[in-house]
Amino acid sequence: MPDRVAWQDFATVEELTMSTATIGLAYNYKVVRQFVVATVVWGVVGMAMGVWIASQLVWPEMNLDLPWTTFGRLRPLHTSLVIFGFAGSAQFAASYYAVQRTCQVRLFSDKLAAFTFWGWQSVIVVMLISLPLGYTTTKEYAEIEFSGAVWMTVVWLAYAIVFFTTVVRRKTKHIYVGNWFFGAFIVVIAMLHVVNHLSIPVDWFKSYPVYSGATDAMVQWWYGHNAVGFFLTTGFLGMMYYFVPKQVGRPVYSYRLSIVHFWALITLYIWAGPHHLHYTALPDWAQSLGMAMSLILLAPSWGGMINGMMTLSGAWHKLRTDPILRFLVLSLAFYGMSTFEGPMMAIKTVNALSHYTDWTIGHVHAGALGWVAMITFGAIYHMVPKVFGRTQMHSVPLINLHFWLATIGTVLYIASMWVNGITQGLMWRAINDDGTLTYSFVEALQASHPGFIVRFVGGVFFLSGMLLMAYNVWRTVRVADVKMAELEAQYA
Amino acid sequence: MIEMALNLLGVLGLWLAIEYCLKHQTTESLDDASLIPFADDPEVARRVELATGKRVKAVAPQELKPGWGNLEI
Repeated sequence: MPDRVAWQDFATVEELTMSTATIGLAYNYKVVRQFVVATVVWGVVGMAMGVWIASQLVWPEMNLDLPWTTFGRLRPLHTSLVIFGFAGSAQFAASYYAVQRTCQVRLFSDKLAAFTFWGWQSVIVVMLISLPLGYTTTKEYAEIEFSGAVWMTVVWLAYAIVFFTTVVRRKTKHIYVGNWFFGAFIVVIAMLHVVNHLSIPVDWFKSYPVYSGATDAMVQWWYGHNAVGFFLTTGFLGMMYYFVPKQVGRPVYSYRLSIVHFWALITLYIWAGPHHLHYTALPDWAQSLGMAMSLILLAPSWGGMINGMMTLSGAWHKLRTDPILRFLVLSLAFYGMSTFEGPMMAIKTVNALSHYTDWTIGHVHAGALGWVAMITFGAIYHMVPKVFGRTQMHSVPLINLHFWLATIGTVLYIASMWVNGITQGLMWRAINDDGTLTYSFVEALQASHPGFIVRFVGGVFFLSGMLLMAYNVWRTVRVADVKMAELEAQYA
Repeated sequence: MIEMALNLLGVLGLWLAIEYCLKHQTTESLDDASLIPFADDPEVARRVELATGKRVKAVAPQELKPGWGNLEI
């Protein structure tokens, strides 16, 4: 295999992530290896941050009485690290890997690809430093302040150049559907990020948006929902269309359906943002439009989910022995579940109960843990042996253990948030005969405390799985004993 | 009523756009496209051929040549 070399050819992760041509003579695997390692590192840090802030809601003293470690500063840091650090690095890795292999051409420009790696990592470091210090736009998932946001745009444009030039230089006649999804993700995220960040700077890290009032809110949630729709869905669907067929060893169930899925998804997703602003100052027609588009969105979402699931036709037995495939398939199940829940929550009457409650947090994590993280785990476990020149991961049983820890963690998380959310929604709307509120806010908070504990436990489960993955990846790339490597290979 | 008409128009527009994009595609060409992920991996391609009965147009990845693929901007 030209894309693999014997274990003796390298010794350390540092050497591997610094060498361009050790493995992958035709393809640029160096940048893929770098992004794979970054995915694991930011996954551990970002999820640990999530568990920390979950503990603050159980034990408030966990904020350490320091301004830098309060919930208000660490929560945006958690979301930024897991979205841009973990999920972002995973999509860079997966898109660079898949676009080369499906276009049968080396990635365009090694230097520009390396720039995207170091540039993207520097963006995450800017977030890591500036957010705890309190520099924030206050816009959810877009907290990075002015100069950081400008730098992010530069790196993203470089990514677009590398990706699309590689597609243009392809050796295949057809552009594989996975690349269409990756391409849409790159283009739309650029548009969303630039439009939402349009602002007047007064300092390097202080700016004021050019929008105000309801317009500002609408632009923010046009961005915010499509951060979910394009950053956390479309790119990962590109990942799904490459890694699920590859891991199953079967072509995608219906290629025609995948094209319908693509066009329907990108046509509809962009309109769904107003459902974040139900019963606000946003004009009622815009709220209804957002609700209607969200409901219609169920069709392409489930079309894609079914297409991915049905790819296993005739190969379901592989689930018994392949934990990587289990991750990929379970991610599709959670994708189906959360894309049903989302449109339901977008219905105005349901939203009247669910909005501002923990139900929303549970919904977001059904997608983030169940879909985004699980498909990332599957893709990373698939890629690591290939890009690091191994036959398989250091330990397959550890992948299996990770799978169960992640599954239990996700279920604990979302179930506790459902219970909390409905409890909060019902307590907030309960009124006495004289029209006064039955419960104070603090009473609803006290009722939520058991759910906060279960959520924290779920987070610990999920983080434990992530740590196992880090250990497994580390051992896979560090193995330097051929006998040990052969012994480990017997786990298959 | 106008809303219904607009909705139908939207669906019709989407259908026409997809049909337009697919007008040059045949069942065979879409089949070939779906096999692209296996094409650069001859070993996997053989297994897929055995499992599905479809023919994968497998190619071995090109070797790196001096200067090839390293075009800088």
